[in-house]
Amino acid sequence: MPGMRPASATDDRQVLVDRIDMLERRLADIEAKLGSPQAQVATTAGGESAAAGSPQLAELDRRLSDLETNAVLSEPKTTVKRIEVWTDKNGNQSDEPIPGAVKSVTYQRETTARRQAISEVINEALEDAESKRVHIGVSSTLTLQNARQLSGFRTPANGHSYALASADLLFTAGLAQNTIFFADVVGLSGNPPDNEINGLTLLNSYTARLSRQNELNLREAWIRTEIFNQTLGITAGRLDLTNFFDRNAAANDEQTQFLSDALVNNPALGLASNGAGVAVVYEPYSSFTFKIGAQQSNPLATNLSESTFVLAEVDYLMRPFGLPEGNYRIWARTDNSARKRSNAFGVSIDQKLNPIVTAFARYGSGRVGLDNIQFYSAGLSFQNGWVFNPEDNWGIGYSRTKFANRDEDLAEIFYNLHLTERLRVSPHLQYVHENDGPATRAFILPGLRLQASF
Amino acid sequence: MLKARYLASGLVALACGLLAGSSIAQDVKIPDPTKVVMIVDRDSNDIAFMDIASQKIVGRVFLGKNVNPHMVMMSPDGRYVVTGGTRANKAYIIDTRTLTLVKSIPVGIAPEHLSFSPDSKFYYQGNPEGDSVTVIDMTSLKVIKTINGLAEPLNVTFTPDGSKAYIGNYGAHWVGVVDVARHELLKKIPIGAAPGIAKLDPQRYLGEIKGVSNASPSKDGRYLYAADGDLGVVGVIDTRDDKVIKVIRVGKDPWRAYMSHDGNYAITVNNGDETISIIDTRKNEVAATLPAGPDMTGVNFAAGKAFVISSTTGFVFVYDMKTLKPAGRIKIGTNIRLETATTDTADQKMYLAASTDHSIYVITGATNGVQKIANVGLYPWGTHIMDSKDNYCH
Repeated sequence: MPGMRPASATDDRQVLVDRIDMLERRLADIEAKLGSPQAQVATTAGGESAAAGSPQLAELDRRLSDLETNAVLSEPKTTVKRIEVWTDKNGNQSDEPIPGAVKSVTYQRETTARRQAISEVINEALEDAESKRVHIGVSSTLTLQNARQLSGFRTPANGHSYALASADLLFTAGLAQNTIFFADVVGLSGNPPDNEINGLTLLNSYTARLSRQNELNLREAWIRTEIFNQTLGITAGRLDLTNFFDRNAAANDEQTQFLSDALVNNPALGLASNGAGVAVVYEPYSSFTFKIGAQQSNPLATNLSESTFVLAEVDYLMRPFGLPEGNYRIWARTDNSARKRSNAFGVSIDQKLNPIVTAFARYGSGRVGLDNIQFYSAGLSFQNGWVFNPEDNWGIGYSRTKFANRDEDLAEIFYNLHLTERLRVSPHLQYVHENDGPATRAFILPGLRLQASF
Repeated sequence: MLKARYLASGLVALACGLLAGSSIAQDVKIPDPTKVVMIVDRDSNDIAFMDIASQKIVGRVFLGKNVNPHMVMMSPDGRYVVTGGTRANKAYIIDTRTLTLVKSIPVGIAPEHLSFSPDSKFYYQGNPEGDSVTVIDMTSLKVIKTINGLAEPLNVTFTPDGSKAYIGNYGAHWVGVVDVARHELLKKIPIGAAPGIAKLDPQRYLGEIKGVSNASPSKDGRYLYAADGDLGVVGVIDTRDDKVIKVIRVGKDPWRAYMSHDGNYAITVNNGDETISIIDTRKNEVAATLPAGPDMTGVNFAAGKAFVISSTTGFVFVYDMKTLKPAGRIKIGTNIRLETATTDTADQKMYLAASTDHSIYVITGATNGVQKIANVGLYPWGTHIMDSKDNYCH
């Protein structure tokens, strides 16, 4: 009975088609529950025959299972968008430019039909919440130093150990478009060796530009906004101008690089403390950057006119002699807080010699207060190689400071070991020679810095 | 008998008529596949085709509801356009000339990025959530193999001769080597080892993994540059023996390497420290590390410059590839999200998708000029031009 075979195959196909139809209805029901306004199953285009058989059935079953387990039972996604519209003199609004109409900006809800997985929805909600809150960061550092006097006039520092604990609370919040608020409250406890060694520059830069110890200090509190397509940044409030000026890629951070203040900033800057001020940075994202800043230079002054510190800088990025990138900065400043106006200028250079080694140098000359100052420093920094762990860095540096009738030679070597992303420990070895007439003296200071940040 | 003949000839005539009608219905909409930009629209679930000369949308292929297409690519022979529907778990094959959806094919879970073998015979569809790559034969338009054993496969790179394919595993720190003749995973090439000190930092190394998203080929195809996000390195693979010949440390959290069109440089976008690293491929060392922006999604090359897309800031950062220095920023818009771009074959214009804006921005490389093309579809995620050197996704 050869005629019976086609009839049987037709029946089988019909059974398959019926089952596929049933599964597609189930899928459509679930998609409708998920909120798709025109829920239906995307049918196989190009027509794989419904009678293709069990593979297609298995696929439909699998899709159904995926939907039931992964999809979110939610409304269609809605977002509010900022849109431009055109309104004519009769008050009619158009989405497209029309002659005589005035362009304005409005906001409108938009619905999209994207189906999202549970994880995506949760992540979006978390990111949204994160963007609206005040961000708090914590940075804590403990520095231990020991002074060994090598020569010269005997001081009480010989054989003494010093510990300084520093904790910074950092607050950041978005205020408006391209505008943020930032505050850094720092608490210091303990004593650095500087009180007993009494050098020209600080041997522990954590206390630099802070007037009080063993109590809470407001290190910085400012508002920053960016205008003109975010090329011009204006920061105003209580500032640490060294965060904007005299920067250096290899020697500018007491938390991860050198501990000695002469290898963090240029003493010719003559900034005794942070103060109220403004910094304006024009950054066209080319080779040049232009900066100008002003702040109150004396915290005890009763008015701004008699304690104004003004600073300007030009930065230039170059690649001399086929070397990798180098940053070359020149600055000049004036300060009227002393009886006589004092001026100074300086340069700060960091030049990569290869992907691992960066050379740095600073020079400064002028007056600080009523006395002349001359300063230079130089050194090498190593990163991305010649280290124990990939993110470690280390450096060696030397500085010479001549101020009034005194001069100082200082050298430091450190190795910054990244234990974890948030925890670093770095041994330091400092040498300082203070030439102070009859009180000339030299010290060597082994030290350890333990730094955590969240 | 005569009746049967008449009946048969009648059926033939009917069939011919149907065929003729069919050919009329399927008008040729894209006569030259090199003249269009393909735009993948995630929320309107379609692929839009924009004529490069007129900058008008000349066709659109709807894939189905909630398909959520991710990346679009044209076969090297120009015959088909394909995309993976991330939410539908299917691959979609479109006839380029007629813009008809020829077939949808079930693949693995959450298909995203894809690639064609150079001879257009095979379409490899990565399924990152299924940890597999589906191999589709482009002659039969059927799945012929599923390559398992991968870890969040994101991108596939074929050698120029088509003999091997290299799969970046973002959920691991290795590149998979596939024998294209058998479509089998031959080898895993580790890009680098986690530092010994990593055991002190479980939160960083176990909380989330950012491995290898892509292996980018050198101009001659001999070497591959595979960036590893967690390790902050680029491994240089010699495809002759499939070994890493050098590990180059770059910035933090590099997403992937992008090759300059002259082959002299590879650029990684380092979202961890918001820099780019420019690797000199002749020396295999970093020639410059330059500041950039957050959330970088891609790099395009045109008119002797590199254009780096910073998704959430609405900026494109520009770099002069002769001096290896910054050359300005282009403000595309405020409160918009930029995705990826493709460059035309003349290396002059880039077509940048802006998802939240439902627009494409045409950037002229020589002048940094920008032109907006609005309403290309909902949530455009990426663009593609046949034979472009900058066809990629994110």
